Amino acid sequence: MASNPNVEDVIEETELDSSSSNPPLGFKVIAREFLKDKVALTALIVLVILLLTVFIGAMFIDQKEVMRVSLLNKFAPPSSEFLLGADSGGRSILGQLFLGARNSIMIGFSITVITSFVGVTLGLIAGYFGGVIDNIIMRIVDFVMILPTYMMIIVLITIVPSFTVFTFILIMSLFMWAAKTRLVRSRALSESRRDYVSASKTMGTNNFVIMFREVLPNISSIIIVNMTLNFAANIGIETGLTFLGFGLPASTPSLGTLVNYARSPEVLSARPWIWVPASLLILVLMLCINYVGQALRRAADAKQRLG
Amino acid sequence: MENENQLLDINHLHTGFRIKDDFYDAVDDVSISLEKNEILAIVGESGCGKSTLATTIMGLHDPNKTKVAGEVIYQDLNLVDLNEELYNKIRGNDIGMIFQDPLSALNPLMRIQDQIAESLIFHTKLSKEKRYERVLELLEQVGIPNPPRVAKQYPHELSGGMRQRVMIAIALSCKPPIIIADEPTTALDVTIQAQILDLLKELQEENGTGIILITHDLGVVAEMADRVAVMYAGQVVEEAEVGELFNNPKHPYTRSLLNSIPQMDSENDELHVIDGVVPSLVKLPRKGCRFAARIPWIAAEEHEENPVMHEVAPNHFVRCTCYKNFHFEEGGE
Ligand SMILES: Nc1ncnc2c1ncn2[C@@H]1O[C@H](COP(=O)(O)OP(=O)(O)OP(=O)(O)O)[C@@H](O)[C@H]1O
Ligand SMILES: [Mg+2]
Repeated sequence: MASNPNVEDVIEETELDSSSSNPPLGFKVIAREFLKDKVALTALIVLVILLLTVFIGAMFIDQKEVMRVSLLNKFAPPSSEFLLGADSGGRSILGQLFLGARNSIMIGFSITVITSFVGVTLGLIAGYFGGVIDNIIMRIVDFVMILPTYMMIIVLITIVPSFTVFTFILIMSLFMWAAKTRLVRSRALSESRRDYVSASKTMGTNNFVIMFREVLPNISSIIIVNMTLNFAANIGIETGLTFLGFGLPASTPSLGTLVNYARSPEVLSARPWIWVPASLLILVLMLCINYVGQALRRAADAKQRLG
Repeated sequence: MENENQLLDINHLHTGFRIKDDFYDAVDDVSISLEKNEILAIVGESGCGKSTLATTIMGLHDPNKTKVAGEVIYQDLNLVDLNEELYNKIRGNDIGMIFQDPLSALNPLMRIQDQIAESLIFHTKLSKEKRYERVLELLEQVGIPNPPRVAKQYPHELSGGMRQRVMIAIALSCKPPIIIADEPTTALDVTIQAQILDLLKELQEENGTGIILITHDLGVVAEMADRVAVMYAGQVVEEAEVGELFNNPKHPYTRSLLNSIPQMDSENDELHVIDGVVPSLVKLPRKGCRFAARIPWIAAEEHEENPVMHEVAPNHFVRCTCYKNFHFEEGGE
């Protein structure tokens, strides 16, 4: 057992020099992942441009003006006045597209934020403490999960009298937090049994600090990825429900209301300018968000990284 | 307190895990104590309850799944009855712990400096700059080259030996009078092992810390420990000063353990193995001598019905009477 401390030190020094300090997950890692993956990078750029255009464009559009019915322009085809034509009420499709996209994205985003906040908090508490607390929270989650979500949402939407974007977001969130809680809880459960949590306890760190400052960052990658993909899904659900006629009222444009026009066979075949732009926008949004989500997922998992 | 120098006094400690609907003791009636400036080694095979004893002292068990009874007296406080809040005042500040696998015991997403500073934040009122100074001082103390650089790194960027040094720095950060080291060198290779153990011993002598060193390596025990407690199936079966234990082992289990170390000067090069394994918690016989099943050639009358500790020499305790006429199996050696 002849150990030579000098050799050890030399080895450790060179080992140190070769590695600059990389956090396991951080801005740099994500940036590198996007630079390596051209598809994801393109998706990200397209997404940013789309979001900026929609939000800046929508600021200059007056909703009342756009939504005013003028029968003279009924089903006007694309022209210099109506770049994308008009609908059955003579309302500009382009204007509705801007407002609708903004509304749909805002709704999807709000639902994602609210459900994530609730899901992460409850899931962390359940997974970290386990036992009775876990049991109580998970039984409530189970109950919400077995409810027929879409039917309940449709029923609620029908019986709530004054129906706005805000109530729509609340109703959707009411049912969507449960799956998030379950996901976070299962990750928190295994993460909380790791040695570093015990080690932290042996330093006298209290439970809430360990939960939010140590366990949460370690499961944050999965949460971020899930949030991204969820964002796309929530936009989809909103447009879907609205398409079926159970979403936003017709006076509030959304991507769903535009696609909804395609339910009439005549519009579907003869007036594609009404529904094609909205459908394309949905398609492109979903694809971009999903590609970005995949890249984030890879960045979060060191084994899958490209860069 | 009977003894000025006593740091920790464990009396009749039981830790039971819930399996199905019953609690099974993994630590069964353990009574040991730790003094200032002393290294107490706890040895035993895998599964005999060493880690459970350590985590019980640190209060890491989930009360839903474990039942802890007995006393762990520290400064007239029974740690077993403490609530989380009071325990947090003691953990880190008065008792530090070093884990077996430093990679899993370090948070992968926190810089080394933040992990070492964690205890300092909770137990001291040091300013941010002072804390950082202390972190560098600690890294220096545990023999890490280039502390300012390592302080900024993440655990996965360090070698195993360096990680364990960081763990030791964490345990030392508030200069606790007691350190529990659960197999601190098992995950490391032999040369690094020796370095880490030397470091522990050095730091212990410097600060007068009492260390509970958990290991299954009798070589480590001989080198480091002042006193040894041998555990078998959740119980302490023999306890003695280290010299006494190696020169005059009594309990059949201790003798078998010592006998299973490869000897350079032995005539035959066959290794002695102890037949069988530590029984699982559920199957463990709760009556009679727990080692009896593994030395079937010893007659049943040799064992006590309810084995207790006997003082066979000053400060040398052995459980059960079966040591008196114990011999190794014929033809076995
Ligand atoms: N959380 C738990 N739930 C149920 N049983 C457990 C739990 N932790 C440990 N045990 C059981 O308690 C007994 C003692 O385990 P412990 O980890 O203390 O052994 P050990 O002496 O540290 O072993 P090793 O040398 O392998 O680390 C074993 O039989 C083990 O299966
Ligand atoms: Mg162990």
